[in-house]
Amino acid sequence: MKNNNNKNVIIRTENLLKRFEENLVLNDVSMSIEKGKTTVIIGPSGCGKTVFIKHLIVLLRPTSGKVYYKNKRVDELDEDELSSIRTNFGFLFQSGALFDSLTVTENVLFPIRQHIMHIEKKQADELVASKLSMVGLDGFQDYYPAKLSGGQKKRVALARAIALNPEVILYDEPTTGLDPIRSDIINELIIKLQKELGITSIVVTHDMTSAYKISDQIIMFHKGKIFAEGDADTIRNHPNQTVQQFINGRVDSEDLKALKGGKTTLFNDFTNSYR
Amino acid sequence: MIALFENMVLNPIISVGTFARFSGRAFTTSCSSCVKTKAYPLILTQMNLIGVNSVPIVMVTGAFVGMILAIQAYDQLAGMGLEEHLGVLINVSVVKELGPVLAAVMLAGRVGGALTAELGTMKVTEQIEAVKSMGTDPVRYLVAPRVLACLFLTPLLIIYADLMGVLGGYFVGVIQLGINSKAYWTFSAEGVELWDVSIGVIKGFFFGGAIAVISCYKGFTCREGAHGVGRACTEAFVMSFISILALDFALAVIFKAIYNTLWSVKSLV
Ligand SMILES: Nc1ncnc2c1ncn2[C@@H]1O[C@H](COP(=O)(O)OP(=O)(O)OP(=O)(O)O)[C@@H](O)[C@H]1O
Ligand SMILES: [Mg+2]
Repeated sequence: MKNNNNKNVIIRTENLLKRFEENLVLNDVSMSIEKGKTTVIIGPSGCGKTVFIKHLIVLLRPTSGKVYYKNKRVDELDEDELSSIRTNFGFLFQSGALFDSLTVTENVLFPIRQHIMHIEKKQADELVASKLSMVGLDGFQDYYPAKLSGGQKKRVALARAIALNPEVILYDEPTTGLDPIRSDIINELIIKLQKELGITSIVVTHDMTSAYKISDQIIMFHKGKIFAEGDADTIRNHPNQTVQQFINGRVDSEDLKALKGGKTTLFNDFTNSYR
Repeated sequence: MIALFENMVLNPIISVGTFARFSGRAFTTSCSSCVKTKAYPLILTQMNLIGVNSVPIVMVTGAFVGMILAIQAYDQLAGMGLEEHLGVLINVSVVKELGPVLAAVMLAGRVGGALTAELGTMKVTEQIEAVKSMGTDPVRYLVAPRVLACLFLTPLLIIYADLMGVLGGYFVGVIQLGINSKAYWTFSAEGVELWDVSIGVIKGFFFGGAIAVISCYKGFTCREGAHGVGRACTEAFVMSFISILALDFALAVIFKAIYNTLWSVKSLV
């Protein structure tokens, strides 16, 4: 079966396992991602989604298992070889990770300056303006990241990630911290990039509306394993209890018990006891 | 027991190994950056930050070294009636030892601290990973310009320190303590050779390289959080300081051996 659709598979992981000292974060994750499709990864906070997508461009190296990009094994390459492979990727960090000593313009131009030898100033300005207007931030060119709000930083980071028109874009929570309208603009942007440029997207998100809207495939992680996968409808109607609880945002009874059982101590109680 | 072995023996060996790999990489990338015109703007920016802005502080250091030496040595020499030789003593010490070492220590604090804090913060906020994720080698983009700037500018800064040290010694010795100016300079000119000045400047290359590589390494391997950055800065300074002294000792031995084979032993007075 693996060989049948090998042609369309652009990224593949085999039995990926990642351990940080004692902490087993990814446990045997095998996944294929098709070219031109949007894959959404969901899962509880701390289940290893960020760690997983960092493996796809080998920012982290697996403890065991393999990562392939276009049928080429990449997790064992050295940094120089990885550099040239990474130019095919855009990566939106969960924290944005903007360069805080550079302006918005310089941030967006960074990948371009690094990989395209020469670019006219006028051409560069136009390009930055067009990328920024895609994320609704045209006019913020000369700001430093410290002066932007959280959501604005995220959007500048997104503009930087798409600057080179990469083949694959990895988004780590692109809509977190944005208002509902902005989130939907980002959704439309992801869909547009897929439709018009055939870009492959992998999106980590907690936003189920967005997940249903943009996904060709949804994968749910749980405790470092793939817990459920399928298209939006499959996931929406998934028979499993845990999946349903997660996508509908319901606390399970155990967690609720813990919350009710725990004594809520107010600051007043402390101060009172000192009186 | 095994944990103890790991902490005391294994971990230090591993860190020495990673440091050696890092320095090797920093060195080769710096060399190749030299011939890439694309890297020049980055190098110039760093030269400005690292070198130009350090000139005042290095000059002040040099001036005080010269003045203090003059005050301390004068009484000893005057007691033997040799005060006119003060110039040789001060100038040789300044250009050979104290100028380079103290200037380098100042730089380890001023420049090294800033480098570690900057790179450490970048590491903690994922900016170094971001550089990598865009297919750029962070060592080439961040480390090489800093190493080159330190390497080229530390010797120059040492020349400034030397100059101010010589002037400081002259100020106290001749103007304040009234040594005959002509005698002061004649003895100095006889005593200080080009060799002495060159040694000081050559040391600058080694000190500058050590400061830059150690500070960048500490920034790159910084632990999480504000605490991690603070700790990295402290460690970078301590390690740079010890390396400066150790290098100074090693270079003193080497240069002495070279001098003795070329010429004969020289006396200060
Ligand atoms: N560099 C690291 N060193 C040690 N442990 C790490 C490191 N990065 C992540 N972890 C651990 O891996 C686990 C998963 O982290 P990860 O960031 O992938 O979660 P996540 O699924 O992205 O969560 P969230 O939705 O909150 O972003 C966490 O328990 C974390 O402690
Ligand atoms: Mg995450």
